[in-house]
Amino acid sequence: MDVPRAADFLRSFRPSRTTGLFVLFVVEIALISAAVPGYFSVYGLLDASRQFVEAGIIALGMTLVIITGGIDLSVGSLLALVSVTIGFGMDAGLPLWLAILAGMGVGTLCGFFNGVMVTALRLHPLVVTLGTFALFRGIAFAVSGAGAVSNFPAWFGVFGQTTIGGLVPVQLVFFVVLAAAFAIMLARTRFGRYVYAIGNNEVTARFSGLDTDRAKIAIYTLTGWLVSIAAVIHTSRISSARANAGFVLELTVIAMVVLGGTRITGGSGTILGTVMGVLILSYLQDGLLFAGVRSDWGLVVVGAFLIVGVFINEFFRKETR
Amino acid sequence: MSRAAILARPELPSLVFLILLVAALSVTTPSFFTIPNLQAVLEQVVVVSIVALAVNQVILSEQIDISTGSLVAVCAFVYGNIALTVGGSWVPLLGALATGAFVGLVNGVLSTYGRVSSIITTMGMLFALRGAVLLAAGAQVLNLPPESRIFGLGEAFGVPISIIVLVVVFALMGVVSRHTVFGRNVYAVGGNDRAARTVGLPLNQVRLMTLVLSGLSCGLAAAVLLGQIGQLQATAATGFELKVIAAVVLGGTSITGGRGSNLAPVVGAVLVGVILNALTLNRVPGIFELFVLGVLILAAVSFDGLRTRLTDRRR
Repeated sequence: MDVPRAADFLRSFRPSRTTGLFVLFVVEIALISAAVPGYFSVYGLLDASRQFVEAGIIALGMTLVIITGGIDLSVGSLLALVSVTIGFGMDAGLPLWLAILAGMGVGTLCGFFNGVMVTALRLHPLVVTLGTFALFRGIAFAVSGAGAVSNFPAWFGVFGQTTIGGLVPVQLVFFVVLAAAFAIMLARTRFGRYVYAIGNNEVTARFSGLDTDRAKIAIYTLTGWLVSIAAVIHTSRISSARANAGFVLELTVIAMVVLGGTRITGGSGTILGTVMGVLILSYLQDGLLFAGVRSDWGLVVVGAFLIVGVFINEFFRKETR
Repeated sequence: MSRAAILARPELPSLVFLILLVAALSVTTPSFFTIPNLQAVLEQVVVVSIVALAVNQVILSEQIDISTGSLVAVCAFVYGNIALTVGGSWVPLLGALATGAFVGLVNGVLSTYGRVSSIITTMGMLFALRGAVLLAAGAQVLNLPPESRIFGLGEAFGVPISIIVLVVVFALMGVVSRHTVFGRNVYAVGGNDRAARTVGLPLNQVRLMTLVLSGLSCGLAAAVLLGQIGQLQATAATGFELKVIAAVVLGGTSITGGRGSNLAPVVGAVLVGVILNALTLNRVPGIFELFVLGVLILAAVSFDGLRTRLTDRRR
C-alpha cells in the first residue's frame, strides 16, 4: 500500500470531533476519579450539575449565535437583570409567579433588542452586545440600588434546590430537555439550516431569498429567553437576587461553546459538541475544587483548555480553500 | 486637508460630541472647566488611553485583544515585586515592558501562525493570566514606596508625568502609523486582507506585531496604574479590557478593521472620562455609571452605523 492511500485509510477511521470530545470527557472523569479518592459517585457527579446547568443552558443559544458568525457578550449582565427583575418585582408587591413571568419577559425582550440592533443597522454583534453588556447590568444596578432581595417563599426553591428521586437535580432535567430540543431544531429543521446558511455566507443566504434579518433576530431573542430560564434557576438556587449575578459568565459560556467545536468565525458547530464542552470544562473545575486545589487554578486551566482545544481543532484542520 | 476629508474622518462624530459636551458642562457645572478638574480627568484616562492606542492597531488589523485587563494586572505584579526588591522605577518598568511584550508575542504567534483566532487566544489569556496573578499574589497587598511611583505621581515642568507619557505614546503611535511601512500595512491588512495577501504583504507578521504592541502598552500602563494607586492587588484592572475596547469603538475605529484613526481611542477614552466626571460633579450616584456607559456605547455605534448606511447609499 503506498503512502497516500495508507493516510486516506487511516483518516477514514478518524473519529468525529464530538466522539473525540466524548472520549476526552470519559478520560477526564476517570483520571480525576483515580487521582482523587472519594470523588466518583453517581450522586456526586449528578449534584455537580447544579454548578453548570445555568451556563450550559445559555451555551445552547450562544452556539446558534456563534454559528451565524455573531457573539453575545451581554448574557451575564442579562442574567443579572432578569434576576433583579424577579427579586425586586416581588419586593415591589408582585406575586412571585408574576414577577417570574415579568423577568422572563424582560429577558426575552432584551434578547430581541440585541437582535434588532444587530440587524437594523448592520452593526457588529460584538459592539452591540458590548454596549448592552454595560446597559443591562447598569439597569440592574440602578434598579436594585446595589442591594439584594432574598426573602423568597420556600416554593421558589423548586427550580434550583430540589431533586427528583433524591438524585437528579431538577435543573439538570431542564438542561437535558432544552439541549435535546435545540439539537433537534439545529439539525433537523429548516430554521436550523438557516442558521448554518447565515454562518457560511450571509450575503449568499440573503440573495438566495432567505430572510437573514428575521432569522438573526429570532436567534438573539431565543438566547435572551434561555438566559431568562437560567436566571430563574440561578435565583432559585442561591435564593438571592442581586445585580452582580453572572459576573464574567459570558466568557465561560463562550469558552464552553468554542471548546465544543463551534468555530468562532461561524459556519459550523453542533449542540452535542457544546454539551460536551460544557461537561468537560465544568467537571474539570469541579474535580479541581473537590481535590482542594485553589479555585484560582480553575481559571488557569479554563484559559489553557480554551487555547489548546481550539489550537488542536484549527491547526490540524485541512485547508478547504 | 479638504473639507470632504475632514468630514470623512472616523473620529469626527465623537470629537464633535465631546466638544459639545465640554461646552455644555462648562456652562452648567461651574467646577468642571477648571485646570485641576480637567487635569484630574486626563490623569484618570491615561491608563485606558495608553492601552487603547495599541489595541486600536490590533482592531485596525482586524483582530481583537481582550486579555489586556489580566495582562495589566500581571505586569503590575512584576513591576511591584521588582520595585520592592531592586527599588526605583526604571528597572521595574523594564520588567513590566518585557513581561507585556512576551505575553503579546505568545498571543500573536498563536493568533497568526497557530491559526487560533485572536478573540479565543486573548480570551484564554484573560482567564489564565488572571488565575496566575491570583495564585502568585493571592491576598498579598503590596505598598509601593514613593520613589517607585514616579509614573503615577511624579511631575516634570509642572505637568504630571503620566500625562507626558500619554502624549509621547500618542505622538509615537502617530509617527508609526503614518510614516512607517508597518503602520500603513496595518490599515491595508485590516481593510482587505485578501488584497493585502495578493500584493504580498506579510499578513501574519503585521498582525503579530500589533499584538506585541498591545502587550507592551499593558506593561507601560501597569507602571502608570501602579504609580497612581500605589498598592498592588491581584484583582486590579478587572473588566479593564472592555473599557479599552469601548474607548476604541466609541472613538470611531471600526470593529471590523481597516477604518479608524489614532485620535479615535484617545477621544473615546476622554469622552468616557468626561462623562463619568460630570456624573460625579453633579452627584449622580455611582450605581448609574454603568447604565450611562451602556447607553453611550449603543448611541455612538448606532450613530456610526446610520452614518455608514447613509454614505454607502449615496455612493
